[in-house]
Amino acid sequence: MNDETIPAKPLPKMTPGAEHYWHSATREQFVLPHCTACDKVFFYPRVWCPQCLGQDLDWVHASGHGVVYSFSVVHQAPFPAYRGDVPYVLAVIELAEGPRMMANVLHCDPATVRVGMPVEVTFEDRGEIKIPQFQPVHS
Amino acid sequence: MVDAVAIAAVSEMKPARYPDKDGHALYIEVVRQLLAEWHLKPGDIQGLLACPAGMAGGGNADIFVHEQLYEELGIHPLYGDTMNAGGATYGYMVQRAALAIRQGLADSVLCIGAGKFPKVSTGGAEMMARMVSHEAFEFPYGTFIPAIYAQVATRHMHEFGTTAEQFAEVAVSSREWALRNPQAATYGTEPLTVAKVRASRPIATPFHLYDCSIPLEGGAAILVANASVAKRIARQPAWLLGMGEYHSHRNIHQAADLMDIGCGRAGRMAYERAGLGPGDMQFAQIYDAFSVNPLVFMEELGLCARGKGGAFFASGATRPGGDFPVNTYGGLLSFGHTGDASGLSMIVEGARQVMGIAGDRQLPRADIGVVHSYGGMMSEHSTLILGRQS
Ligand SMILES: [Zn+2]
Repeated sequence: MNDETIPAKPLPKMTPGAEHYWHSATREQFVLPHCTACDKVFFYPRVWCPQCLGQDLDWVHASGHGVVYSFSVVHQAPFPAYRGDVPYVLAVIELAEGPRMMANVLHCDPATVRVGMPVEVTFEDRGEIKIPQFQPVHS
Repeated sequence: MVDAVAIAAVSEMKPARYPDKDGHALYIEVVRQLLAEWHLKPGDIQGLLACPAGMAGGGNADIFVHEQLYEELGIHPLYGDTMNAGGATYGYMVQRAALAIRQGLADSVLCIGAGKFPKVSTGGAEMMARMVSHEAFEFPYGTFIPAIYAQVATRHMHEFGTTAEQFAEVAVSSREWALRNPQAATYGTEPLTVAKVRASRPIATPFHLYDCSIPLEGGAAILVANASVAKRIARQPAWLLGMGEYHSHRNIHQAADLMDIGCGRAGRMAYERAGLGPGDMQFAQIYDAFSVNPLVFMEELGLCARGKGGAFFASGATRPGGDFPVNTYGGLLSFGHTGDASGLSMIVEGARQVMGIAGDRQLPRADIGVVHSYGGMMSEHSTLILGRQS
């Protein structure tokens, strides 16, 4: 497949309350929203805490560590931007801080990915911004 | 005891591609077919619930389908709406219809849907991935509907040792049934084997092509009625003995527990309201966008032991002649998935089995059965218990 025929991967839509998350990721910092009222770290970033709807939020610098909660190795590209990536790993990551998020597991053979595998954050350049991704922990 | 409500009549088009029919034309065809099969007149329809036409077609969905249908049929319903909950739409329609009928708002309510399925290979996959994924926190990671469902399958494999071959057994079982259903899209084809499923094109682990439902078009209609109307229309109505509803999440990564995704919670409510338990069920019809769903949801519905869904399907119990038949019309896997209308097919079949009109695939024991459907990415759940005795 000629790379020139592959369009750019999608950028995340900027949703309310998430700007700081993406700005931080672009500086290769992985942050999570935290509710000061109920002391809860949550995902995904939004204008209020999903537990108490409190809007007094701040940000914590997350460890960037987690484990694979579940995953699938995608063999058929869902759209042209992923033609050059198959097979790739679509995973749900359970963060050390508790919340789960979706990401790809990069920089490894997809066949080696397992549920429970320790992973750490890495950042993928999408042009205008960088987005948090995960890779196996190299010990 | 609440007033008895039943499914009095059902009708469904054969899933296929209908290039000459748009969403509205499919709706009209479904109504025409129902009225003809059951010798009904438009005046027999006192209420009407419809699903937006053209949703899966990439926007421009018509949310006034109910109005269009009133006008086409020349009726003036006492109760009506267009509503959507994805695949759970029609389970919820039956539940809403029952509530309205018990409240005396109408003697009968028509629950109807028609759907088209976009071609997956020509932009359909991206369009549907956008529709079902968070636009900031999921879609940019290359979401793909099979890979979203696969999160449940992979987790189940991890927790219970379920194998890809056991998921394939679900597809094999469904095909056995479809070969007995002339209305199924795969009727007249060859039986599947686990080896054939595993040899088909890999889509997203653990799913291969035959672990996925068949995208087609079609529609169906279900007339829900009070006791007197139901008895007039049907020799054996399918009485609604219990119903349950549960809403879990919107985006799959937000599901609190992939092994307790809402199916069992809706199911327990339905059993409780019916005064019955899983052990009273004689068959199940379970929405199956992918092979993972019947396997895991049999467990959630208490119809087999936790973690034993794979062994249950591998045992042959769910196939023709088995102890506990599942998806006796072929399921969306082998009957066909009619897009926005897909959530009707398992209810129509559950009703047909209880009504005793399932033809060559009629079960010898179909006094009580359970029908489970869900919408979104296993986000919202509907369980119905149908039986021969009100
Ligand atoms: Zn809070």
